This record gives sequence, C-alpha cells and structure tokens, in this order.
Amino acid sequence: MAEDLNWAIGGEAGDGIDSTGKIFAQALSRAGRHVYTSKDFASRIRGGYTAYKIRTSVDDIQSVVDRLDVLVALTQRTIDENLDELHEGSAIIYDGERSWEAEIPDEMTAVDVPLKSLAEDAGGAIMRNVVALGAACAIANFDVEYLDEALEKRFGGKGSKIVENNKKAARLGEEYVEENYDLDHLGYDLETTDNDYVLLNGNEAIGMGALAAGCRFYAGYPITPATTIMEYLTGRIEEYGGHVVQAEDELSAINMALGGARAGARSMTATSGAGIDLMTETFGLVATSETPMVICDVQRSGPSTGMPTKQEQGDLNMALYGGHGEVPRFVVAPTSITECFWKTIEAFNLAEKYQTPVFLVSDLAMSVTEQTFPPEAFDMDAVEIDRGKLVDDDTIDEWLDEQGRFRAHAVTDDGVSPRAIPGTTDGAHMSTGLEHDELGRRTEAQDERVRQVDKRYRKVETAQEREDWEYREFGNPDADDLVISWGSNEGALVEALGYLEEEGTDIRVISVPYIFPRPDLTDEVEAADDVIVVECNATGQFADLIEHDTLTRVKRINKYTGVRFKADELAEEITDQLAAEVPAK
Amino acid sequence: MSSDVRFTDFKSDKQPTWCPGCGDFGTMNGMMKALAETGNDPDNTFVVAGIGCSGKIGTYMHSYALHGVHGRALPVGTGVKMARPDIEVMVAGGDGDGYSIGAGHFVHAVRRNVDMSYIVMDNRIYGLTKGQASPTSRSDFETSTTPEGPKQPPVNPLALALASGASFIAQSFASDALRHQEIVQQAIEHDGFGFVNVFSPCVTFNDVDTYDYFRDNLVDLEEAGHDPSDYEAAKEVILDSDKEYQGVMYQDENSVPYHEQHGVTEDMSEIPDGAPEDAMDLVREFY
Repeated sequence: MAEDLNWAIGGEAGDGIDSTGKIFAQALSRAGRHVYTSKDFASRIRGGYTAYKIRTSVDDIQSVVDRLDVLVALTQRTIDENLDELHEGSAIIYDGERSWEAEIPDEMTAVDVPLKSLAEDAGGAIMRNVVALGAACAIANFDVEYLDEALEKRFGGKGSKIVENNKKAARLGEEYVEENYDLDHLGYDLETTDNDYVLLNGNEAIGMGALAAGCRFYAGYPITPATTIMEYLTGRIEEYGGHVVQAEDELSAINMALGGARAGARSMTATSGAGIDLMTETFGLVATSETPMVICDVQRSGPSTGMPTKQEQGDLNMALYGGHGEVPRFVVAPTSITECFWKTIEAFNLAEKYQTPVFLVSDLAMSVTEQTFPPEAFDMDAVEIDRGKLVDDDTIDEWLDEQGRFRAHAVTDDGVSPRAIPGTTDGAHMSTGLEHDELGRRTEAQDERVRQVDKRYRKVETAQEREDWEYREFGNPDADDLVISWGSNEGALVEALGYLEEEGTDIRVISVPYIFPRPDLTDEVEAADDVIVVECNATGQFADLIEHDTLTRVKRINKYTGVRFKADELAEEITDQLAAEVPAK
Repeated sequence: MSSDVRFTDFKSDKQPTWCPGCGDFGTMNGMMKALAETGNDPDNTFVVAGIGCSGKIGTYMHSYALHGVHGRALPVGTGVKMARPDIEVMVAGGDGDGYSIGAGHFVHAVRRNVDMSYIVMDNRIYGLTKGQASPTSRSDFETSTTPEGPKQPPVNPLALALASGASFIAQSFASDALRHQEIVQQAIEHDGFGFVNVFSPCVTFNDVDTYDYFRDNLVDLEEAGHDPSDYEAAKEVILDSDKEYQGVMYQDENSVPYHEQHGVTEDMSEIPDGAPEDAMDLVREFY
C-alpha cells in the first residue's frame, strides 16, 4: 500500500489547471494530510503546457519526487511531458470523448471518463476538471466529501447554486469510476487525520510576514514570479491602514517604497530578474541615505528575460554586489515557506535596526509551491518588532548639534544613527545619495567621506556581532561529509537524507538562510572530508563564497535546467559527488 | 504646527552654489514663502528633489527632504504622501529631470493625482552638465550636443499634463516673485497634484529664454480674465505655442486626491509592538 500519492493535472494554460489543483490540495489538507505542490507553467496566458502537481502523505514532505501515480490529462502533451515520472501502476484519467486520441502506454491504467458530458449533466462543461477530481478521489479511495469545503471556498462567491453543481460534478466523476472500473489493484487508501493544516505558498508567507511585521506601504510592478506578493497584500494591507501602489515601473516602485520608508512606514517592494536590475539604480541611494526598507527578489531564470517561469538561484551575486560603488546591505534568503514568513519579519527588523536596505532573496520554486503546515508554524504571538534608534519629540534633543540641527547621520560607535521621521519636532533634515556629513549635507571633504563610509560599514560589523547569523542543520552532525545549501533547496535536501540513509550514506546538511552577513563555516568545512554545495545556478555563486570564506575547495551540485531539485535526484547526485574527485579549478 | 513660522525657517544655512542671477533663487524663495503662507513648518514638510541644478534645492531649504536620483523624485513624493497623508509634500525638479528621464513618472503622478505640489524649474537647457539641449529647448536652439538645434519640437509639459488628466496646471516666472509665490500657494492648497512649470532662466547657458524674453512675452492669465475651471479655455491656452503664459491654466474644483480615493487616512508609521491583534486570522485564511 502506497503511503504517498503523487497526483497531477495537466493541460493548456487557461484550462483552469491551477485552481483545480488548488482545490484538490486544499481537500487533502482538510483531511489532515501533508501536501506539497509544484507547478509547471509556461510564460503565456492561454495555451502551452501547464501542470499542477501534488504530492501528499500523512508524513511531513518537503519536496517533489520523480513519480506520478495519478494523472489527469487534458491533453496528450500532459502524458508525453510526464512519461518519465509515470510508472506501471500509474492511472491516467482522460476524456475519451474529446477529439484527441489518448496514447497511453499499455502498462498504465487508462481511466476514460467522459469529463465534459458528466460536467454538462451537473450543470455546465466548465466543471469538467471537478469531475476529474471526483474521479481521482475514486481511484485514490479518498472521500469525495473532503472536496466540498474547498469547492465552497473556491466558488462560494459565485452563489450556492454554483457550489452545489460543483459538488455534484465531483460525485458524478467518483460514481463513474466506481461503476466502470475495478481499481482496487491500485491500492490507494488515503489515510486521514484530525490535524488542522494551513496550505500556503512562499509568496503568501512573505506577504503575511510583511503584514505581521508592520509593513504598511508596498509599491511594486507586476512581474513573474513576484506578483503574487503584491496580489496577496492588495485587499489585506488596507485592513491595517496600509496601501499597495501598482507603480508604472520598477524604478518608480522602489522610489515609492523609499519615500514611504523615509516617511516612517515600514515599506517594501518585490520584484524579480529584470526588475531588480532597474531597481539597482535607486538601491545605492537607499543605502547611502540609510533608509530602512525591504527589497524582495523572487529569483527566476536569467539573465535578461531568461526563462521567466522557471526556477533558478542566479541572483545571489546581484544581491551581494549589485549597484555602483560600495554599499552595505543585508542579504537574507529564506530556506522554506515558514522561513519566508519569519525571515520577512526579520528583514524589516534588520532594516530598521541598522537603517540599511535588506534584500530578501527567495526563488520561484518556493514562491509557487503550496505546502501544508500547522497554523502554529506562523505563531503571531512570537512576532517581535524592533524599530531601532527611532527618536521622538522627547528623545531627539541629545542628537541636535549646538545650532539645534538634527544629526541624522551622526557618527556613532555602533555605526547606527538616530532616525527622525517627518513630524518629529526639530528633526527636519535632508537625506541624499551624495556623500554627506553628519547633518546630511553634501561634502567631498576626505575625512568626512572616510568617516561616513566607515560608519555605514560599521553597522554591518555591529550586526555581525549582535545578531545570530545562524544556520539550520539536518542529518548527522557527526557525519564525515558535509552538504551546504541555501534557499529553497533545503526541502529536497532534507528528504534526500532519507534516501541516502537507505543506502547507508551518512551526511551532515547545513542550510544557510543568511547570505550577508553569513555564518562562518570555516570550522564545519575543515572538519568535513567532502564538502558539497548545492544550488540552482550554473556557476556556483554560493560555493564561491564558501571557498572564499574557508579557503577550501568544495564540490558543487548545480542545476540550471529551470527545474528545482528533486529529493531522489539529489540523493543520487550527492552519492556521485562523494565518489568524485574535487575538480581542479 | 506653529503659527509664527517665517519663510526663512525653510532656509538652510547652506549657501546656494547656483550661478549669480539664476532663476532658481527666485523659484526657491517663492516656494519657501508659499509653504510658510499656507501654514506649514519645516517639521511637517517633506521636500523631494531630483538631480541637476534644481535638485540642489533640498540642500538650500530646511525641511524633511530627500535628494533622490535623476528623474525619480515624483515616485518618492508619492511614497511619502501615501505613508503620511498628514505631511505636506513638495517635489521640485528641472525640465530634464521631469520631462526627459522622469517623463514616465510625470505622466503617472499626474494621473494618480497624489496630493502634492510639483514645481519644475524649467530653464530649457541642461545647466549642471554645462549646456546641452533639454526636452523643452527650442528646435533650433544650438548647444554643444545639438550644434544645429535639436530639430525636434520641445515637449509641452502643460499639454502633457492636460493629456494625462491633470487636476491642476499652472505656469509661473521666477522673476515675478509675487505671482510665482501666489501660484505655488494655489498648487499647495489644491486637493491633488498641483503642477507648476516655472520659467527659471539659466543665465549661463541659455541666451534665448532670458529674463528679458519672458518679461517681454509673458501674458498673465489672471489679468487676461482666464477662468481656470474652464477646460476648453485651458486647452486653448495650453496648446497656444505662440505666447508664454503665467497663471493657473486649469484647476479641477472637484479633484479628489489619490489617498482619499483609496481611503488612506492613517499615519502608516505607527505600527504595533508585535503582530497585529487579530493576525492569526491571516493564517487561518489558509485553511
């Protein structure tokens, strides 16, 4: 009996693939099952292959695998695209009445369901995907009633008639399979539990983290895959007195966020790829004017327009080094969907404590993946806000010079200056991207220049001392071999541990959520026989940093196909790398 | 906000490095006077400036201010105003800043109708980079980069604003101190985006659009009996390329500023110490 079920629906963009997948994922979540989803999508509105995949288990799962058990295929291409993941026991649901002739490998179970006709019986052809969900429930021995709540959530706004029709459609699909097929041999019996789970993706977690952290102003420009952060905040941020502006371009977006931040609001913008390039112009101003704000980069395949709907972790160097001149910044990279929430909150705190821009670097795989968590994983009571050295009418006096002028860029031991927001009496001051003195006034005096540059970098030193730039650890801490990862690879890596254990391979995994500053891994690297750095880019940008920090050559696993790592594939790669020599550079 | 604010309170102790005789002196004085006259003080005022001679204005004025990157002052002003509807926001820039590199932002700031004043110091030349053609330079104006003139018509910023749905369009002359101040005051008091194009002569690089030229050619719309609420009349004046006008060309008396349209009223700088009280609802939404 299979514990996991790997299910997918695929067709053309515009076929409602995404919402159908989401409904099934929610139903599984309501049944107390863990869910991990992934999406294949093309950069077009209609047409082109698109799929929504769900992996579900009663055990915690954090990755996709190379296996597909039940596939709802709305097109032949859906079958063709997934041939290498389909296996002898796979069931493929398709509509034999449709014009295409399904070519299904003999060893698989073809489940021909008249999706369209049954949907019409239920009230409309548009519900054919829901019929397919009912059929999938029958195959997987999963109670179709679990779909009801998800259908209510999805269609409730359209009236009870629509909801009832959809429920009927699901049942017609279920009944059809039960009456026409004897599928007991597939052996699925999806166990349910009493667990309450929430189901959300990384971008939603970032948006939720922003709200929890007190972000009240967001300006952005639509770009895949960052847009859903803006979509999440729109309609919710207003509940807290905030606002989202859809700017005319990314240049405008980051400048609006800069304005909001200087006005005292916790402000944020998010973008991806080409958008980050445009924002780089203002990035230096944000840093030099010591403005606290969060810039989120949800990475996708580059360079240029690259592959806009595909996974990559290629922007690390941009986040670290982007912009002319030398500017202090923090770079924080969440390693999981829950970390998307917590690191967003931390990003806002870091920004205000050190009056520095913070890059929050996520990636496409995390942004589109929906995963189940107990609600306590996002425990709002644990959220802490630190606004740093914000002065008010009563505390500003000690920061005024003899002439009563506010020293907005006062040179302090920790590098952090006081911050007065508009409306604070005697706090009026100018901020500029020009090199400036303590008052913010332009200067080219050599000693002032050095004092201000040193001051700004001293904030980073202070932060390095004061904050815990920790890493997350998995596997066996005493293992001889060390695998290092950043970003969303963590999930697949953690699951790969299980595969490796079966083979008798013992490794230590370190997942690093901070790119700059970052934990010093010298001791860990030195203690290991083999060190492998795993990342979704071609050149090994993080591996370069590890080599730079530790003065030790590391092995690399790089994937830049546009597809995220899969747990089973990663386990194989690690095994291969452990057997390989360290490549000469 | 104190009632005894003088315009000199908006002056910083930095001496302007503008060329002697630069129109920007008069432009800035009018801005400071208008801010004081309209009941603002430096602690509740935010001035955003761009790059170029005009951009230096933030240094010479005293208020909360940001001296931004080239052409992006309007988005910064938008962000300030959205976060803090309680703060008076004034954006200052030049013709290159506003109509060339920032032209896109100009169009969108106008159509958003954010409640701020936008003062453009238009000298029809690039001054700080030492005399190249600007978007408002005449088509036959010879400069170092356009030895035979730009050979393209100048941007008509007023028409651009009108076409973008502006709710307040005005033009003033830096040297006509009182009128300039009055017009900027009206822009500040306008509920929405108060756009003023200011003729601010460059005495160093522009020997065509000089003080004398504007003095001789300027028609004051108030004296001419122009009604700013008359859209058709405004259109006529704005599209008339034969004359130079000062005054308020157009004002939509029913203008509703962006933040009011979007129900933004709160000071966004105030947030709770931890997550908002009902924040777990955000999580449960994902059931």
